[in-house]
Amino acid sequence: MLEIKNVTKKYGDKKAIDNVSFTVNDGDIFAFIGHNGAGKTTLIKSIVGIHDFDEGDILIDGKSIKTDPVECKKLMAFVPDNPETYEHMKAIDYVNFICDMYEIDKETREANIKRYAELFEMEDKLNDTIDSYSHGMKQKIVLISALVHNPKILIMDEPFVGLDPKAVHDIKEILNELVKEGKIVFYSTHILDVAEKICSRVAIIKNGKLIKSGDMKDIKGDKSLEKVFLELEER
Amino acid sequence: MKKLVSLIKASMTSGMNVFKINSKASSKRKVLPLFIAFWLMFTIWSNANIILEKLDRVGLEYIALSIFVVGISMFTLIEGIYKSGTLIFNCKDDQLLLSLPIKKSTVLFVRIFKFYVFELIFNSLFLVPVIMAYLRWAKADMFFFLTSFIMILFLPIIPIVVSCIIGAITTGLSSRFKYKNFFQIILTMLIFIGVMYVSMNMDKFLIDLVQNAKGLNDIISKIYYPAGVYADLVVKFDITKLLVFMLINIALLVVGIFVLSKVYFKINTRMKSVVTSRKVKSSKCIEVKVKSQTWALIKKEFSTFFNTPVFIINAGFGLVLYLILAISVFVKFNLIVDTIKSTDIISIDLFLKNLSTYNFLIIILVLLTTSITSSMISLEGRNFNILKSFPVKTEEILKSKLYASLIITIPLVIIGDFLIFIRLQFGILEFLLILLETVIFSILSGLIGLIINLRYPKLDFENSAEIVKQSVSSFVSVAIGLLGVFISFFIISSLIEKGTAPLMIMGVGIGIALILDLVLYLYLMKKGVEQFNKLNV
Repeated sequence: MLEIKNVTKKYGDKKAIDNVSFTVNDGDIFAFIGHNGAGKTTLIKSIVGIHDFDEGDILIDGKSIKTDPVECKKLMAFVPDNPETYEHMKAIDYVNFICDMYEIDKETREANIKRYAELFEMEDKLNDTIDSYSHGMKQKIVLISALVHNPKILIMDEPFVGLDPKAVHDIKEILNELVKEGKIVFYSTHILDVAEKICSRVAIIKNGKLIKSGDMKDIKGDKSLEKVFLELEER
Repeated sequence: MKKLVSLIKASMTSGMNVFKINSKASSKRKVLPLFIAFWLMFTIWSNANIILEKLDRVGLEYIALSIFVVGISMFTLIEGIYKSGTLIFNCKDDQLLLSLPIKKSTVLFVRIFKFYVFELIFNSLFLVPVIMAYLRWAKADMFFFLTSFIMILFLPIIPIVVSCIIGAITTGLSSRFKYKNFFQIILTMLIFIGVMYVSMNMDKFLIDLVQNAKGLNDIISKIYYPAGVYADLVVKFDITKLLVFMLINIALLVVGIFVLSKVYFKINTRMKSVVTSRKVKSSKCIEVKVKSQTWALIKKEFSTFFNTPVFIINAGFGLVLYLILAISVFVKFNLIVDTIKSTDIISIDLFLKNLSTYNFLIIILVLLTTSITSSMISLEGRNFNILKSFPVKTEEILKSKLYASLIITIPLVIIGDFLIFIRLQFGILEFLLILLETVIFSILSGLIGLIINLRYPKLDFENSAEIVKQSVSSFVSVAIGLLGVFISFFIISSLIEKGTAPLMIMGVGIGIALILDLVLYLYLMKKGVEQFNKLNV
């Protein structure tokens, strides 16, 4: 379970996140939406332990990211908004490096690398250096690296940007599989129709404040998620 | 013109502000770099006064200006040779700039202009104190100030244009190979060795020059034209000569940019092209290797190091020089002894008695000025977020950076230590202390670099040369290292003169360094960890 408890993050005097609280349960695909600069990335970076925050706490399966960061990070995988990697490395070396960081045994990593490389049609490109890749291919390597260590919680910031339609389709399939295994998928997105189709829960953030959070069907009712979002934004 | 001004403005604000540490940098953090800059200027001013005092006796004060002009221009050229390849090629803003409706030569001009501004600031740190010292010893009129101002502005141009052309040649040649970085490093090193060889074998040229020269100013002009013009103008101001000097520099800059722009984009495109592997079946290409977290992190540091030519050349230069020195001692020690005998810098008996102590001092110089770790945090760049998201303790990340620097540094220095020991055959205990010194001072240098880089990080940069050569962190680390060298030199020289035994000098030196290692390590593990955790992109 991922619990965000009264989290506030300030940049100087400005509150980027203002007393935000919500919970993501095991088996949820959770969409985190908001306009540009609303505070989505800041909260995501706080969850994965990249940013410190000023008030509140974030609990990963009951452990605080503030006091027990290493144990919390072991349970999570993070896919950033830009596919940031060590580009001078070969893709296979990079994936192996990530596995080393998460202390994955040889058998598991062998099976998972093979599985996800084939799924994303990257198996014949793993021996190339990442700087030779297109944006979409880099994104695929980041996704393979995130999935390869079987994270309990997958945190993604705009994961579909730059991906081809097949890759988007495959990711949706993988996300569904993960939640069936009781894992959590938490991601920010601007592609609302995809979020509407695949997410069980949603939170909407505006100027650092949470303005709506709950089950997807309760939040949108008979309307589309896009319409609900635009109405909330205009208020 | 408007476009050019906007472009320069944007380019300068994004990358050239050496005091832009990060957005949250407190003014307190600016004190140390400023203090070091003033200390450096004061040291140059003091040394210039010593030279001027001697020249004043023979009425040739203006020669001091020429000496420093030659020195700083040579330094700018050598630095520029290995920086230019990285500073003007393969920048992160290539895509943005090349997609804008501006001439490609304008983009190149902006890159070179940025390089020029940095060197202008750097040259000023040296030349302003020399000019101030000159004013103490010689009369100056308004023409002197005008000449000096123009000189400060124009002096970086020749070394920059020459180094950019050499940088383009090395980058262009290496871009044709699969292992571009490797060839770039080899070519740059070969050029350095060539420059050193030529400068060490100029005796005949200098003798011819002196015999055929019309006067002192003529000699200086023939050695380096701007230095000669400066000397001429200080002795007797001539507006025509000044204008000719300015025109020659401007013409050189224009021609340089014109020539470079012909090949610049071809080279840049080739540098960006990456040779991909042959396609092989999936099962065969998935090679799984399990490593510990620490070893994986160290390997990542190696990967960054060996894929960043400017990083290797900058860090490796001192180490390679030490190896060259060790080989020279091994092969031609008798020649070194003869040279020392023929000069009266030091008595030969004192020299032979303290060989191990001199070796000890040289190792301090090499290690404290070789600062690999001072760029390691900054070079993470946008990947810093990835690093922070790993389930690894910050302490381990910092240690892995330190270990990587030790693995790069220590073996090379130890090879040199062995060569020198085999040839000079000082006592085994002295040799063991030299080996211990190599380890202890490598750790010291690594710790200083990491602490400084955590205090002055710059995670947003356009190319690695900005971090390795032009960042506050590298400047402060090298300055602190040099300060350590000066202090060691002063203390050890006094102890040698007092007849203190080499073993005692080395033992005390290692003891002090060991205490510093412990203190700095504890500081890094506490304060450094806090600073790392607060840092983000």
